Amino acid sequence: MTLLELEQVNFRYPDGGIGLDGCSLAIQRGSRNALIGANGSGKTTLFQHCNGLLKPQSGVLRYAGAELDYSRSGLRQLRSKIGLVFQNPDRQLFSANVQEDVSFGPINLGLDDATVRRRVSEALQAVGMADCADKAVHNLSFGQKKRVCIAGVLAMQPELLVLDEPMAGLDHRMRIELVAVLDGLHARGITLLLATHDIDFAYRWADRIHLMAAGSCAASLDAAELAGRGDALTSLGLPLPTVVELHRRLSAQGLLPNNSAPRTHAELLALLESTNNAKETP
Amino acid sequence: MLIEQSAYANRWRHVAPAAKALFALGGLIAAFAARTPFAAVILALFICVITLAGARVTVRRYLRVAAPALFFLTISSLSLAFSLSVNNGVQTLPFHLTPEGMQKMSEVSARSLGALAALLFLVLTTPIVDLIALLRRLKIPEALLEIMVLCYRMLFVFSEAVHDTLTAQSARLGYATSRLALRSLGGLAANLTVQVWQRAHDLHVAAQARNNDGPLRFIEATFANTSRDVAIAAAGGSALLALTVALS
Repeated sequence: MTLLELEQVNFRYPDGGIGLDGCSLAIQRGSRNALIGANGSGKTTLFQHCNGLLKPQSGVLRYAGAELDYSRSGLRQLRSKIGLVFQNPDRQLFSANVQEDVSFGPINLGLDDATVRRRVSEALQAVGMADCADKAVHNLSFGQKKRVCIAGVLAMQPELLVLDEPMAGLDHRMRIELVAVLDGLHARGITLLLATHDIDFAYRWADRIHLMAAGSCAASLDAAELAGRGDALTSLGLPLPTVVELHRRLSAQGLLPNNSAPRTHAELLALLESTNNAKETP
Repeated sequence: MLIEQSAYANRWRHVAPAAKALFALGGLIAAFAARTPFAAVILALFICVITLAGARVTVRRYLRVAAPALFFLTISSLSLAFSLSVNNGVQTLPFHLTPEGMQKMSEVSARSLGALAALLFLVLTTPIVDLIALLRRLKIPEALLEIMVLCYRMLFVFSEAVHDTLTAQSARLGYATSRLALRSLGGLAANLTVQVWQRAHDLHVAAQARNNDGPLRFIEATFANTSRDVAIAAAGGSALLALTVALS
């Protein structure tokens, strides 16, 4: 079922810059979506449309089948369903204290004190920051700030979580931890949409990959079929995922069966191992 | 930043802010009630010892935080002590010490010391966020509190921005000569102005994304044993008052 849908959305910034240019895109409920595109291809503009922060000059956005309602109450409704996590945590956090900041969204939803407290502690738990509830925001590391940002949006219990380049600036370990957090959210039924520059990550993590170029969505494909759509990637100047290239070369040399399609490095290694074992014990 | 570190890392961090504020208020009232300089100085020492021994604030940190205030106190008491004589002083300096001046100086500065100790006790044991939450419960107008919250948060965001810009400028010899330094300083100011503008806009958008439609509201921290702490602080504050009255 389609949760969020954009149809021929156009948006131009007041300074004349093109934000979106005939952008059409659909997000299925419960799916993991990666949005790939060069800097300036309109990813952030698209995200701000999802949450009703920007209003399209022409074209339609639909949420769960209904056209977006840009009235005060309509936006309220929409923003409680779609959570937006910004790229730079310092531009999103404005309380000096962790749990205060996380409480900001739920309080804006008009919830009572007990519910707010419960949601705040649940959200901090979900991102693994329960120990830091009392800390000052400026004493946190970059990765911790990022998680507080996610908690602040989670506490509003969104159906769709939109993250603008969540991996930017994180070290390897923090990335792995963040992916674990995202997988936990996905398991709870939250639909995820994130922007990334990392095609390898998108290929192994996402169900569906959307390619953005010059303000519109050039292609939306299932991650599984990405290997066969190298043309779509090359036309945007993007490389194939390394695991795909490696697998192709290995199967061309007869080292791997052609019918398999490993999505991660680990899967490829395991496949190589098992093929080797099969050859050695005929 | 020193105050900040101490406020978050002292033994009484989790004592109810209301209690700490009440105790500090007791100290302030006692400082005003002290009729002799001796009583006020004893009061200041007493509160200082409580801050150091009770809340375990280190002596070094305490002195570094107190130093600027003590400097100003010294300057202003000197100006109180000397009085300007405008009569026919031919052979004498126009400034001289007078007994009344000395008396006045010792009274005022001893009282100020007491008040300073009480305020230092409060700020060195209580983070600003707790103080703001306390003020909110005391029904201070929302607008003032929001400004406090944002200023406090922005303080750190901007000190980081200043630091980053300064580093970037220094790395490219921006401060090599005084001429260049002046130029770079101008660049820094211009850069910060634009950053202030952008960040304010970004925060507004971020607030909207989380469904904000006006006042910035947050939950308040809860403190275990608030009533017990307040009772102890009330007793402590009254004791301070009784002590100074008895001594003077």
